Amino acid sequence: MAGADPTPSRTPAAGPRLDTEPFAPRDVVWQRIDPRWATAQRLVGGIVAGVAAVVLGVLAVLVTPWVWLGFVVLVPLWFWDFSWARRQVRAWGYAERDDDLLVVHGILFRTLVVVPYGRLQYVDVEAGPVDRKFGLAKVQLHTASSDTDAAIPGLRPEEAARLRDRLASRGEARLAGL
Amino acid sequence: MSGGVSGGVSGEGVPGPAVEPVLDALPGGVAADLDAPTRAVLADPGWKRLHPVTPVLRAWKVVAAVLAVVLGQNVDDILRMDLPGWVLTLSVLGGIVVLALVGAAYSALAWRRTRYRIDNEAGGGAVHVERGILWRQQRRAQLDRLQAVDVVRPLLGRLFGLAELQLEVAGGSGSKVSLAYLKEEEAQRVRNALLAAAAGLVVAEGEDAPEAPQREVVEVPPLRLVTSTLKSGLTLWMVVALVGIGIGCWFAGSLTPLFGSAAAVLGLVSAVWQRFNNGFGFTVADSPDGLRMTHGLVEQRSQTVPPGRVQALRITQPLLWRRSGWWRVEVNVAGYSSESGKSGEQSTTLLPVGTVEELGLVLGIVLPDLATDDRSALDVVRAGLTGTGTDGGFTPVPRQARWLDWISWRRRGYLVTEHAFLSRNGRIVRGLDVVPHARTQSLGLTQGPWQRRLGLASVRLHSTPGKVSPRVDHLAADVAAQLLREQTLRARTARAGSGPERWMTR
Repeated sequence: MAGADPTPSRTPAAGPRLDTEPFAPRDVVWQRIDPRWATAQRLVGGIVAGVAAVVLGVLAVLVTPWVWLGFVVLVPLWFWDFSWARRQVRAWGYAERDDDLLVVHGILFRTLVVVPYGRLQYVDVEAGPVDRKFGLAKVQLHTASSDTDAAIPGLRPEEAARLRDRLASRGEARLAGL
Repeated sequence: MSGGVSGGVSGEGVPGPAVEPVLDALPGGVAADLDAPTRAVLADPGWKRLHPVTPVLRAWKVVAAVLAVVLGQNVDDILRMDLPGWVLTLSVLGGIVVLALVGAAYSALAWRRTRYRIDNEAGGGAVHVERGILWRQQRRAQLDRLQAVDVVRPLLGRLFGLAELQLEVAGGSGSKVSLAYLKEEEAQRVRNALLAAAAGLVVAEGEDAPEAPQREVVEVPPLRLVTSTLKSGLTLWMVVALVGIGIGCWFAGSLTPLFGSAAAVLGLVSAVWQRFNNGFGFTVADSPDGLRMTHGLVEQRSQTVPPGRVQALRITQPLLWRRSGWWRVEVNVAGYSSESGKSGEQSTTLLPVGTVEELGLVLGIVLPDLATDDRSALDVVRAGLTGTGTDGGFTPVPRQARWLDWISWRRRGYLVTEHAFLSRNGRIVRGLDVVPHARTQSLGLTQGPWQRRLGLASVRLHSTPGKVSPRVDHLAADVAAQLLREQTLRARTARAGSGPERWMTR
């Protein structure tokens, strides 16, 4: 999402660890995802936490006041989710190279996936209700392996559609057997 | 084949290409009496039907399934009703008869609506199957995508001389095409035709595709199978569980612990039995159509995996096999594992138990490219099987890895040959994963918080779903990054150089 986040991606300030070895192969220019995805994630986290809080509250009133202790766990969890959302977004990156697509994500557990275009079986574009509200979509890549965990969330729908089409045409040009 | 059922409109009964004459040639009035599906089958000689005994076998399956559920759940209630013996017997028998009739009627209808056709065109063959009573399904499977063909002969089918043909075309879950049941010769004939079409052979009109000659390479003797099954980890767990339960019973002074854990113990027993049943009479053979595996005691299975369809391979040795020098080989074949666990286990074993020499023979068939100029395939693999550290040219993991894996860190390591990637692991259960470069789907690099602190990272090679998921854990971070970079290149080059899908045209 170069459009939404015009910071040059190789500068250290652009995000945590996007350019630290071993997760940054040489000559890779990372594309970022839309920062609004952090807000979307916070909203989802807030809804989940809210529902959990209501359930805990009802249980505490009806069953035993000990259940109030659940908030000791819930509140820090929610706070952690809330405060890390921005960093999570900055940790996501994807790069289209000549023959493959790179996707990097995760802060605590960092993951880099290399998907050759010729291995793509199909590409999904998905958008849940919260994503749609924020005008975001997610591109999910599928190869013949179920281990391939390559998804790019927080894309604007038109960018997602363009990426999908580009991946599809590149995949077709380089398609290999299994 | 039971008595007089064989005539009529059975699959193999439809002669020649003449279309209308078939209907005309029937005795007066018969053609008019035939129902629409039968007329359709007769009118188009390309379409064939499954064997007419199929509904009987299927009906039996329905009866067996329902009986198992009903009796399993309600046997107490039935006995408590205190009915006279003859009433009970009659109602049970009556129930079975009714079930059988309903099952047979349904299966007969399903049979009548099912037909299949094989096209062997120069541009690439296909299998068409139409089935379904309410929800009609027409499936077309492209044969140049054929991953494997199995001929399965279940116990009941063997009584009638019938077999089921299963083909995998790797289209994700539920992509298996199954033709059940065919006469055994017909199943063989269809298999040969499918393999010929998939290989790119063009067979003259009206002729049967020739059966590819096969050369038997390995046969597993029954005694070794029994011994190895007893010495496997599964059996160990079973013994541990039984001893634990025995102690529990002794302390409790009753049999309650036994009943409490009956399900778990039964599961273990059945897993051991599965392994024995599946590995019985296991033979591996080589043929131009690829690997042939024939095995099974109760249910016999004859598998054909065409060349280049093995996506990855795992060689293992449980602790107790070490003195005998036995190894077990399992493979990933696209499509095999997307089924339920039982069937997956049956198909993915390449060699249930074999000596090192037999392992070398099998590797020679599956991965002929594994051998280098100066070393045979077995020599390349041997260091991975038993070695540690830098033995055999392997790249080991650094010493820091011991903090995360103090048992087997010395065994961890990888080796790259011209055509394959080998990952060595496991000290108690030794293991070696082999992936041809041309078969890697995608690659991954991961690093958890502890690994980051120690300067380590893990590399994963993503293969099709199955028993083998090759990875090298706890490599030095810079080595891992370099491996990822180089492996990406190697996979790309190998992919570009891999031949066409139709192996006879290579």
